[in-house]
Amino acid sequence: MARLELDDLTKVFTDDDGGEVVAVEEVSIDIADGEFLVLVGPSGCGKSTTLRMIAGLETVSDGRIRLGDRVIDDKKPQDRDIAMVFQSYALYPHMTVRGNMSFGLEESTEMPDDEIRTLVDDTAGMLGIAELLERTPTELSGGQRQRVALGRAIVREPEVFLMDEPLSNLDAKLRSEMRTELQRLQEDLDTTTVYVTHDQTEAMTMGDRIAILNDGRLQQVATPLEAYHQPANRFVAGFIGEPSMNFFDVEVQGDQLVHAPAGDTSAGEFSYPISADTRESLQATSRATLGIRPEDIEIVGAAESGRDFDTTVDVVEPMGDENNLYLGFSADSERTFVATVGGMRRVEEGQPAVARVPESAIHLFDADTGEALQNRTLRDAAATEPEL
Amino acid sequence: MSTVDEAAEERFSINPARVGLYLTLGGLLVFFLAPIETGVVTSLKTPDAVGTTSPLVPSVEGFTLDNYATAVSELLPGMVNSLLYAVPATILSALFGSFAAYGLTLTDWRGQIGVLLLFVAGIFIPYQAVLVPLTRLFSVLGLSTLGIWGLLGIDNAYAGIVELIITHTAYGIPICAILFRSYYKGMSEEMLESARLDGATVRRAYRRIVFPLSTPMFAVVLIYQFTQIWNDLLFALVLVQAESSAAAPVTLILAGLGASQSGTIFGLRMAGAFVAALPTLAVYVLFGEEFAKGVAT
Repeated sequence: MARLELDDLTKVFTDDDGGEVVAVEEVSIDIADGEFLVLVGPSGCGKSTTLRMIAGLETVSDGRIRLGDRVIDDKKPQDRDIAMVFQSYALYPHMTVRGNMSFGLEESTEMPDDEIRTLVDDTAGMLGIAELLERTPTELSGGQRQRVALGRAIVREPEVFLMDEPLSNLDAKLRSEMRTELQRLQEDLDTTTVYVTHDQTEAMTMGDRIAILNDGRLQQVATPLEAYHQPANRFVAGFIGEPSMNFFDVEVQGDQLVHAPAGDTSAGEFSYPISADTRESLQATSRATLGIRPEDIEIVGAAESGRDFDTTVDVVEPMGDENNLYLGFSADSERTFVATVGGMRRVEEGQPAVARVPESAIHLFDADTGEALQNRTLRDAAATEPEL
Repeated sequence: MSTVDEAAEERFSINPARVGLYLTLGGLLVFFLAPIETGVVTSLKTPDAVGTTSPLVPSVEGFTLDNYATAVSELLPGMVNSLLYAVPATILSALFGSFAAYGLTLTDWRGQIGVLLLFVAGIFIPYQAVLVPLTRLFSVLGLSTLGIWGLLGIDNAYAGIVELIITHTAYGIPICAILFRSYYKGMSEEMLESARLDGATVRRAYRRIVFPLSTPMFAVVLIYQFTQIWNDLLFALVLVQAESSAAAPVTLILAGLGASQSGTIFGLRMAGAFVAALPTLAVYVLFGEEFAKGVAT
């Protein structure tokens, strides 16, 4: 077991015309021993490249990778003591499940055959695939192949597991089952794990910490709840959470935030009064982005203050446990924002609604840099570090 | 008129385009099969019958199996000689081709494209262009003058067989490598990366993963190469030269079979051609199923 350190990791690809493409730029993450770290971001953000650099399948352009007290970025993949689970599972089609699981031990250790046999039997038992050991991958379902791919990694007892979107080829139900199971496995094995996904639900539910990447740059490394409630910037705020946070471009005018959509300043639809504390955190910023999560918007009976807004319900998305309301400031407004209300509440499309935006729940971001100027206040201070 | 009637009429009406198509197909069938039919019929006739009957019609009174008996006894030593170099050269060129394709496709190093282009160029070198350098090379090497032939008590003409193995292997590698390369390009990269992470070296990954998965392509390449090498006359003529040599391949003997100053024995020549073709047919039958898989991919 060991901790994994990424230090200013950079990857520059040279394309066919000799041009340089920076895929990963100065990413530094310190992953503790036994930690489950999720690398998340939109496609093309460099998360897979980062993982492949850790595996040794991609060379490192600059920076260091340390595993325990060894520097491993100049080592061959087979000398790094790392196992990887691929999205396509990458099983060896001509070998049985047993052959697939034994392969790594046969190639990388001097272990005698009967020991390998016992170890493979044990691991297969743990994953519930003991009865599949003599079959070939073509005879297995997607979920079973997934388990074999996991077993192949686990059986080698590596220092680090790398997983590249391992659940994305499974159907939704199986995926959520495997999500729980993977977490339990990782906890039992207590092996440092780096898990790549583009799915923010997976990131939120599985990771001890999540690292959010965009355009090859690290945006934030935090616990899931921290990233959710205290996003470092606008990108993280918009990426984490479903449905996404609502954003409004605003201009700071005294103690009012005046709605001023970028490129179309005449179309401002509201002004939002702010307290002196909030005003202070804005400092000299003149243009900002106001963010509010859908579940923090309350639908109230009548407008009582300047933070309540008359809106019209444009579309209702019933989810069962809750309804997503798409609200417009007027009936024919093209711009809508989302509010989430309880599933038992009856709301009709076209009906007027009063949306309350509590000041304690708003986020403010610098309009130019996207950096968070103020995050929501946490009534429950323990929310940043949840205790079980 | 109802649509049912129209459909019925269409089914029975004669479409001139279709008639033309089937006439053409039938014509092509006759065109391609007639020579084989002639060959078979002629190979079963006595020389007299060949002279007096039509080449396409079997002759009852002129029927004989002597042609086949003679062809087999004349060609057998040649067929053994041919097998002696065709089998090793086929296996070696397929194996080296597969190695080369693996190195050029599934591993990563600088200058791959340049080497690949050399392989492609190798396919297009005309055999005629290398005949003289080839004979010069082997006369300089002087394989037939080595003491080993005397020690083993083998006719030193068999040096020609060794030369043929080397030559056919060398000239077979480029096309084999290109065939394997197209097959390997379709192989899962993640699977090989997984093997690397599992601790397999480049050599071990080939032996345990790439090689076992190449069976269908090996069938294609083995059939193709064996047919090419077995049927080759040019290199045999240049390297072994004499039909009377102890090491003469079947093609060399076949060229002179049934030809004499008193005239050509067509029946014998035809029988010889069929006998000489038997091993290539056998190879097709042997690897046919895998061949179909390999071609399909």
